[in-house]
Amino acid sequence: MGLQGQAAIVGVAQYQPEKYSTAPRMFHLEQVADLARQALVDAGLQASDIDGLCVNGPHFHEASSFVPAMVGEYLGVALNFGEVVDLGGASAVAMAWRAAAAIELGLCKAVLCVIPQRMAPMGPEEDPMAMARAMRYGGHSTAFGAPEAEFDLPYGHMAQNTGYAMIAQRYKARYGYDQAAMAKIVVDQRTNACANPGAMFYGKPLSIEEVLASKMVADPLHVLEIVMPVAGGAAFIVSSASLAKQCRHRPAWIKGFGEHIISKSPSYAPDMLETPIGPASRRAFAMAGITPQDVDVAQIYDCYTITVLLTLEDAGFAKKGEGMAFVREHDLTYKGDFPMNTHGGQLGFGQAGSAGGMSQLIEAVEQIRGSCAERQLAHCDIAYVSGTGGVMSEQTALILKGE
Amino acid sequence: MANKPQPMATDISRPFWEALKQHRVSIQHCTDCGSWAFFPRSHCPSCLSDKLQWRDVSGAGTLLTYTVARIPTLPDFADEAPQKLAVVELAEGVHINTTLVGLGEDEIHIGMALKPVFDESGETTLLRFTGQDKALSVIQAGAQAEAPVTQVVSKRQIHFKDFASLKALVSDSYSDWSNRYTVSQDIIDQFAALSGDDYWIHTDPERAKKQSPFGSTIAHGMLIQVLLSRLTMPLDWELAGFGNMVNYGSDKLRFPSPVLSGSQIHGRSRVKAVDEVKAGTQLTLEMCIHVVGQERPALINELIVLYMP
Repeated sequence: MGLQGQAAIVGVAQYQPEKYSTAPRMFHLEQVADLARQALVDAGLQASDIDGLCVNGPHFHEASSFVPAMVGEYLGVALNFGEVVDLGGASAVAMAWRAAAAIELGLCKAVLCVIPQRMAPMGPEEDPMAMARAMRYGGHSTAFGAPEAEFDLPYGHMAQNTGYAMIAQRYKARYGYDQAAMAKIVVDQRTNACANPGAMFYGKPLSIEEVLASKMVADPLHVLEIVMPVAGGAAFIVSSASLAKQCRHRPAWIKGFGEHIISKSPSYAPDMLETPIGPASRRAFAMAGITPQDVDVAQIYDCYTITVLLTLEDAGFAKKGEGMAFVREHDLTYKGDFPMNTHGGQLGFGQAGSAGGMSQLIEAVEQIRGSCAERQLAHCDIAYVSGTGGVMSEQTALILKGE
Repeated sequence: MANKPQPMATDISRPFWEALKQHRVSIQHCTDCGSWAFFPRSHCPSCLSDKLQWRDVSGAGTLLTYTVARIPTLPDFADEAPQKLAVVELAEGVHINTTLVGLGEDEIHIGMALKPVFDESGETTLLRFTGQDKALSVIQAGAQAEAPVTQVVSKRQIHFKDFASLKALVSDSYSDWSNRYTVSQDIIDQFAALSGDDYWIHTDPERAKKQSPFGSTIAHGMLIQVLLSRLTMPLDWELAGFGNMVNYGSDKLRFPSPVLSGSQIHGRSRVKAVDEVKAGTQLTLEMCIHVVGQERPALINELIVLYMP
């Protein structure tokens, strides 16, 4: 069951992360076209090769519905498959498998997957305060009848920080907690960011002591264990096997995937420590016919340190309850015995909204290609990529392979 | 505080809120499969039956998890800072997002037994929780946690020409916090009338709710500056021996963050400089006003006070 591994990621493009205040403002259609052109050049393909599209629906500036048709029209391409993906940080991986499925079904030969995340120019009639108001609740719906508007917001439960903090607190009560091990995740990834000139925190090494001395946001999470939001955006192109062979780089074949959604709020999950990445990863590994031990690079979604810890355990890299020991015992840098988030992770690279997860996927593709310069792994054929949306609401896993 | 998000009951959920008003906890029970459900909904999340029945339960539960939010999750919650956000598992097995009240941080343990507290201090009765062994069961309307002000009984007298002692007051660290003062919409309206600054962002709560980035009216910066007189800093010293003192102005006046209508503010100060001038002695005091629980000040005023013989 599943994919046959006959589709590959052949082109990538990514805006360098920047502060929102200084990043150029571009329409989302303009960003999509710009990122698509860059990804096509990277792949060595033409615009006319594109016949499928995966794009973010929510937060697309120029439209709230009919987004694929508007994007296809703007690019001047006809589509056999037009998909909107609404899975937050899990979207990049979710797009990759949807694109691969469309290709293996014979619908498409090249699918553009794209998430623009720079801000758009402000229109004369637009309310400059609208965005500030929308951000007050950070992803929590305020719509009449939305359970979270009625039962979370009045108590001050909102956005992501406290949700992830409560998961970490529960972990602490069940398995124990080593703050220094959690800080080491940030520090090892920062070492990787310091070998990536594209990263937000390039040139800014960090120590465990500095992480532990940083401000406590919500117990037990320090501010340096939380991603920094940045402006950005990214795209990649998935193509058929025949097209992939004409492309400029070593293809990253999509060999396995999994997707799992348990609940919007971890409060309502049967067990918030059994995260959706478990079932998603088991499916991905089984489909690819490999085990976690076969992985050369783990690109683990890292909105918070606790996300990394639970993914290491639930995806099967470490035993349940032993993730902190695993972190202590392994060097997670590109020089280490368990290379993880070699681009710096989003903690070191910056998080460009739901395009943040695409940075993890693009790094996996580049490690397989061998184009990572200073941080390039000596041997990298198999990459594991995870995605996480909401507060462990939805998670996705992907296995990429160079052949 | 006035501007916290309020629950909007629906036809489906109304029995839950009505029960809270009567100090009952009522949740849904499926008559087809016997499962309990929370939050209120139209269909059973175990079997999708639409035969859900409201049943009163004790409200007793255990603490599934919690966090202490050191930065308010929304400025409107600054009065609860640090917020003790929690997930409670009721005896029936359902999970509820809530906050813990009447418990010190060191009294909170995952797995502890909890009981409901009916909070009537806002527009809608909310369901909060406290320790099973606590007496607290209702938070009355109008109840507000007032921090006791440190009362300094006898203040050290320093002569205004005793420069050695005065210079010793200069410090980088601040005094303890002053008393608290609630910046009501009424006082904001009065200041708008007095000053003539009646811009809607201060005076029109309905429009501010829709259009202001703060989701609420805010106090005038100059009002907050004036309210310094309402705050008594608990200093253990005072100047003596002078004939007259005047407010000479400010070296610096900043409003780094807004004060939302209904917020509680408090202040603290430090002596920044002591100078001998022709007219007498000049004290530069850095006065800071914060919304209670907020790290970022709402006002910084480097106030210069001149003491003359």
